[in-house]
Parts: sequence; C-alpha cells; structure tokens
Amino acid sequence: MSGRRYNTKGINVLEVNSAREAHARTVHARLPVNQQPQQQREFAREQIPVPSRRVFPRPATATPRHVCNNPNNPPCARCGTTIIPSPRATLPLEDCPSVTIDNWTISTRKRPILNSQEFEDWENNRLKGLALPEMIFGNNYVRIENTRDNWSLEFNALDALKHVKLEDSGIRVAYSQKWINSKQEKHKRQMPGGANFDIEESSLKIAHQYDWTYTTKYRGTEEGTLRLQRDDEASLPIDKLARPDNILFFDDMILFEDELADNGISMLNVKIRVMDERLLILSRFFLRVDDVLIRVIDTRVCIEFQENKVLREFKEYEGAYKDVILRHRSSHSHDPKAALRDSNWVVQNTPLVSRQCESLAF
Amino acid sequence: MDMDLDVPMHDAIEDQQLGPTLDEDRESANTGSGVEGTNTESVGQATGPLEIDEVEDLQDPDFKPGSSGIADQKSSKPLELTNSTIDQLDKWIEYLSKCQVLSEEEVARLCKMAVDVLQFEENVKPINVPVTICGDVHGQFHDLIELFKIGGPCPDTNYLFMGDYVDRGYYSVETVSLLVAMKVRYPRRITILRGNHESRQITQVYGFYDECLRKYGSASVWKMFTDLFDYFPITALVDNKIFCLHGGLSPMVETVDQVRELNRIQEVPHEGPMCDLLWSDPDDRGGWGISPRGAGFTFGQDISEQFNHTNDLSLIARAHQLVMEGYAWSHQQSVVTIFSAPNYCYRCGNQAAIMEVDENHNRQFLQYEPSIRPGEPTVSRKTPDYFL
Repeated sequence: MSGRRYNTKGINVLEVNSAREAHARTVHARLPVNQQPQQQREFAREQIPVPSRRVFPRPATATPRHVCNNPNNPPCARCGTTIIPSPRATLPLEDCPSVTIDNWTISTRKRPILNSQEFEDWENNRLKGLALPEMIFGNNYVRIENTRDNWSLEFNALDALKHVKLEDSGIRVAYSQKWINSKQEKHKRQMPGGANFDIEESSLKIAHQYDWTYTTKYRGTEEGTLRLQRDDEASLPIDKLARPDNILFFDDMILFEDELADNGISMLNVKIRVMDERLLILSRFFLRVDDVLIRVIDTRVCIEFQENKVLREFKEYEGAYKDVILRHRSSHSHDPKAALRDSNWVVQNTPLVSRQCESLAF
Repeated sequence: MDMDLDVPMHDAIEDQQLGPTLDEDRESANTGSGVEGTNTESVGQATGPLEIDEVEDLQDPDFKPGSSGIADQKSSKPLELTNSTIDQLDKWIEYLSKCQVLSEEEVARLCKMAVDVLQFEENVKPINVPVTICGDVHGQFHDLIELFKIGGPCPDTNYLFMGDYVDRGYYSVETVSLLVAMKVRYPRRITILRGNHESRQITQVYGFYDECLRKYGSASVWKMFTDLFDYFPITALVDNKIFCLHGGLSPMVETVDQVRELNRIQEVPHEGPMCDLLWSDPDDRGGWGISPRGAGFTFGQDISEQFNHTNDLSLIARAHQLVMEGYAWSHQQSVVTIFSAPNYCYRCGNQAAIMEVDENHNRQFLQYEPSIRPGEPTVSRKTPDYFL
C-alpha cells in the first residue's frame, strides 16, 4: 500500500471501511452455503453485520468425535456445520485450519505464491538447477498426522518439485520445429536494415535442460517408523467414499502452476475431504501441452479412522492431445472446451498408463 | 483468496487451441513476410480432421483476419475528434468505467475509430515524460480502476500500457473496451502497446474468445477486437531513453530502427522479430538461450547491456512475467519487469505495480493490492464436493 493516496496523515476513513468490509466478507465467506443470508449483495453494500449475530442450528446427529483446532475457523459448535477453510481477512492472506478425529489430526495451510526472496532461495539453494514454475504456492500444505503412532503424510510444493527431472523431457511445443527451422534459415540471411543476424550457432541449442512440463510423480512426503508398503491388490473403498456422508472438513489448493509460456498448463492441485469415518485426499498433476499431449497423474490417499488403515493409490494417464479431443465426439456435450477444462472428463478419456497401490495398517 | 477452480475461470484447465490447420492457413495468408510456414511433424500431429463446433466456425470465411470489417474503410489521415464524437466517447468511458459492456454496434464504431488512430502510430511510438508505465492487466477490470486511482486519472496522468489486456480475468471485454475508448478519446495521453495475448490464437485458448461468446452471444466482438489488435504499436520509446515493449529483445533486432521497419499489421507470428519482441524473457544466463520448450528466446545481461549501449538507452521496460512484488529488476537494472494485475488469476496473492517516470527521468514504483469490489466477496469460498 505505498500508493500516495494513502500517504496522507491520519487514517483514511475509506480505507478503514474497506478493511472492515473485507473482513466481514471473509468471515461471511466461511459460512456454509445454506447458512448464508439470502440477500448477499445487499449485505455487502449496506451495513456490515457483526458476524457473531448469526445463529448456528444445533446438529441433529449424535455427539461428534471431531475437534476443530483453529479458532479462526468456522464456529462448528461440534457441529453439523462443514468446516471450510478460508483466508484470514488480512493481506497477505493466510489460513491454517485444522481438525482432529481420534488419533488423526488433519491440517492445511494456504498462503500467496512465493515472494521474490523465497523464490530466489528455492532457485539457488533448495531446487538448484530447475527453472521454477511461475506460480509456486510454496507455503501451502495438506498434512495428516497419526499422533498416536507417530506417522505423517504431507503434500507440499517443495517436495513435489524435487521430483521434477533435471533432464530433457523430449517434449516440445507444437510449433517448435518450425521455430527452430526459421532460426537456422535466418542464420544465413541478411536482415532488413542491413544488420547481420550474427547469433552464434551454439545459441540454437537449448542451453539449460530440465523438464519444462514440471511432471512430478510425487506421492506426498511420508514420515514415521512405519511406512506404506506396495500392495497392488488393495483398492480404495469407492462404495464408502461415494456415500454422501457429511463433510466435516474440506480444502482444495494449488501447490504449483505454470502456464508453459502460454502453451498449455501444468498444475499440481490437492483436495481433501474429511468425513466422520474416513478421509480422502486427491493430489492431481495435470498437464496439457496444446496440440501435443495430455498427462494426468493422480495420487489418492484414503484413511479409515476406526481401523487406523491408510491406502494410497497412484495412477498415471497419458494420451496424445488429438486423440483426447477426438474422444469428445462420442460424448454428448457440445462444448469441447468445457470438456478439456474438466479434469475429471479428461481423466476418463485419457488412457491409463500405470497403477500402483500401497497400504499401511497401524 | 481461494483457488477458484470451480469458478468458470478461463485460464488453465481451459482448453484447446482451435483448428491448427486453420491457424496455419491464417498465418500464411497473413504474414506476407515471405517465410512460408513449412509444416512440422509436431504440428502435423494435430492436423487431423477435428469435427468440433468451433472449428466449423473457423472454417467460415468470415472468421479470417479482417472479416469484422472494422478496417474496411480506413481513413487516410488520423481521426479528428468532433464535438459529437467527444460526447459519444465520454459517454462510453463513463459507462465502461462502471464495468458495463458496450453494445456490439457500439464496439464496431469504437473499433473503426480506433483503427484510424492506431494505424498512424509508429512501430516505435515516441513518448514524452512524464509518463506512468504499466504491465499486464489480464481482464482484471476492478484492478485497472484501482490502477487509475493509484496513478491518477487519465488524461491528467499520461499512461503507457505494455499489453496483455485480455484473457484470464473475468472482464477482458470491459477492460479492453475501456482502454481503447480512452485511447481514441485521448490519443496523446495514453498509449496501448500489443502483448502476446492480443492475438487470435492465444485469446481462443485463454478466455477472451469465450468471454465474448458469453457476453455477446457470437464471436463478432472478438473478431472486431482481434482485427483491431493488429494495429496496436509493438514498442514505445520514452524520451529516447526507455525502450518499452511487452516481451523482450530479439536476436534479429539490434537497433531500435530495425523495429521501425517491421510490418506489424498482422497476427502475431510464431517466429521472427515481432514474435520475439512480444514473447522473449530476460534470463540470468548470458547470451541468447532457447527455451527447453523448443521455442522462444531468453536474453542475458550482456545482450541487454549491448542493446542499451548501441541505442543509447538507459533502460528496457517490459511486462509479460508475473512478479510477486509487481516489479522486478534484472540484468543490474538494465531491464525492469512490470506486472499490473494484483492477485493474478484471483489466487496468486501478488502485488501489482506501475512505474512513474517524471520530467527529470526519476523513476518511482507505485505498488498496489487487489481492489475490493462492492457486492462481491473478496474471497470466494469453495463449495465442498464429493470428489472421488
């Protein structure tokens, strides 16, 4: 806020009001959908009501066994309400919601992308040799901890990026050959204006090799004496996970993202939902190189609280861009763009390349 | 701020480029640079018969560059404003400032006037100090309004925008309409350069095309604006000292005069000097580098210093890359990157900045944060979903 409008003495009334509004809206945004006031727009324009006035209905269910660990989070009143993390009403935004069920503690954190100091540190020290993706939510994480057995699994950007290979991925953007050819051609030609195009031949080679698609086979960072063991026979309890059990805690965050210099998208996203009896994490790496290829790498973690059992499933999908697009013809939707935006559609229409499963029981 | 993946954000998981076959056609029809596009294996991969709606649209001859007709009756001299056009423009600006869109017919009139302003600007637009230099805006309309609050209203403050007005944000139509209206109204007070997103191809992938379809029900407004983008100047020179452009340098451009000789009235090509000026990035490595993506240059400090020395410049100002603090120096202050979209894509939490250059060439950066929008939550909450 170094705008000169704010440099006048005293506190600008407008500034205070907008801060209040921002705070009220943030708090308000945390409330579950069914408890938000109907006239949201009017609420925002008119007076800012005191958030504590809102009444939360008592749950009709039996006494819940979960505990909300962060007072900044929605007053769940044990509870019946869904815990939906949202940032604190300050900049930079931050939120660290947490919930405990029996011996399992689940917490997440969301922060803005790395600032330039952090970025430099990662580039020069922690991830030497990798040209970093543009947007790194390096202070975000999803963490689950078994406090009784001293085991934890965390998803974070740093560890995910450590899995990116420092070698040529072999993938090139669609117009690469044309681009390179034209350079070689011009190399010999005079340019308009009389100047020679005297770029060194060596410059026509790629100087710095790394996997620019940021493909990562990251499955989360595991800590503890016991470890997940390969168990391909195991499978996720899809029937149980498909049940509309009440969601106690939900979060969805990006760990890193790069627009591939406007040639597509590379993104690692983590979602978590916690129900009374189990939780599910989906960490999805999504890559689309326009006109070239589609790649999706999914890691799912399911934990059964009662049985103290962890399952981790790892699936890779990959297909040529044109094949995936062509599959759209057989589907019923009329908008191929919307289909490619929907990673679930993409996964269903991209060939599965490999699957592995691991399990751990305490 | 939350990661709005479930909001229809036309960024990322957004979609495919349309009809590569046609893009090829378009390019060769349009470049006229004599470099015939030799097709490549990788492009060839995607040139299958794609039977999808948009491709059919594109096969329509009306979809070709120039088909909007906004440049059919170009004037032979720069647009002179009459009292009635001034009234009209003032009304449009007032309307657009409230984030409301013009009608299709009004956009057509605006674009026609804009062609008659922009076609007479040079490839290297000379600009006097004082001026406030701004980077990417990307359809974040409310943040553009915040920018004018921080920097001062136009025309009291002179502005130079370095491209990327559209795509990614939700209000590309409003943003570009407002800037173009201001340009026509105050041609000597505001300069709008072309960014790599001011192109037919990129806007089909990253949101502007979809937004036009949604807001107008057809692609005609998209055609008008993309036809207009071909006329935007590509670089500016502030008092002969600061060279401003969207991307960066090109190994085919050693002097500013060489930029003057380019034929810029065309779709942004996939290669060549004009492409580089809109796409390249500075890098810590010296010399010219090629991106591991297989296209696109990076340039080192030696290149920037040489260019500044050859052309007697003090600085290269560019945009094109997200920087957390809104501005970032590189190459020991021979290059500065300016990024003016705070909280980019509504989720990055970055600051934005603009650079003021005063009469004595003193530079000052003004940083700002996302605007708070009346009636809209600043934080969009994610609805829990039963993902599997």
